[in-house]
Amino acid sequence: MFEQALVSVENLAFVSALRNSTLMYPVVNAGHILGVSLLVGGIVPLDLRLIGFWRTYPVMVFVDVLRITAAVGLALAVICGALLFATAAPDYARSPLFQAKIALVLLGVLNALTLGRVMTRRDIRSLPMESPMPLDLRAGGLLSLVVWISVLILGRLLGYF
Amino acid sequence: MPQLRFAYLVCFAVLAAFLAASAAQAHHGWAWATDEEFEITGVIQSVRLGNPHGEVTISVDGEDWVVEVGQPWRNDRVGLTKEMLSQGREITVHGHRSAREGERLVKAERVVIDGKDYDLYPGRKS
Repeated sequence: MFEQALVSVENLAFVSALRNSTLMYPVVNAGHILGVSLLVGGIVPLDLRLIGFWRTYPVMVFVDVLRITAAVGLALAVICGALLFATAAPDYARSPLFQAKIALVLLGVLNALTLGRVMTRRDIRSLPMESPMPLDLRAGGLLSLVVWISVLILGRLLGYF
Repeated sequence: MPQLRFAYLVCFAVLAAFLAASAAQAHHGWAWATDEEFEITGVIQSVRLGNPHGEVTISVDGEDWVVEVGQPWRNDRVGLTKEMLSQGREITVHGHRSAREGERLVKAERVVIDGKDYDLYPGRKS
């Protein structure tokens, strides 16, 4: 039944149009890449700051700017990614690489939400300048770094296997 | 130790670039196929056209082969349509087969159906 639903997604009129389009598909593809760039480009310096890099700069500059950048990137990547998925829904759903990628995306989002809560609870805004982050935030930052880069690599591998 | 931290970053970037490059060898353009011209004739089993490229499954001596044809504009340019690639028709494919041992996958440069040529890559020798 799930398979049936995926086939009907694939056969939706606008999904078929996208699959057979000359220009729209590469444009949506570019949107997905832009989303991933904003997401990873935002999350990497943010995680590195949490881990301990650039401690002479206030942590909240990183948190406030890069969290939004990454969230906007994630939203764009998810929207365009869902469209790309739809063009070959049953094939992607069957792929172990795709399943692993989605599981890691969920883990990454869960980790990011948790990090946000821990940041508030630990009140990092009022930590003295240059002080190292609490251990749970450093660990969460490292996990985030590993998870999102793995998501990117799995996503790229999808096109090749 | 800002220099040391920068060195870590560079190492990290190099590692990431290396991983990306090793993945990219696999299936882009023609790099994943052998250089040798390849020809195969079979009976069409199924077809799926569209982005990023179309796939035609053909049966050759009881074995299934997957033929990669073009993306939509390339197929349209030579008039290769879904109807022409219907099940049961005979097709001859000129192109390059996958370099991976045992993989029955061909990227088509030119296909022949009912004696008519459909040259997807006019700039390439086929």
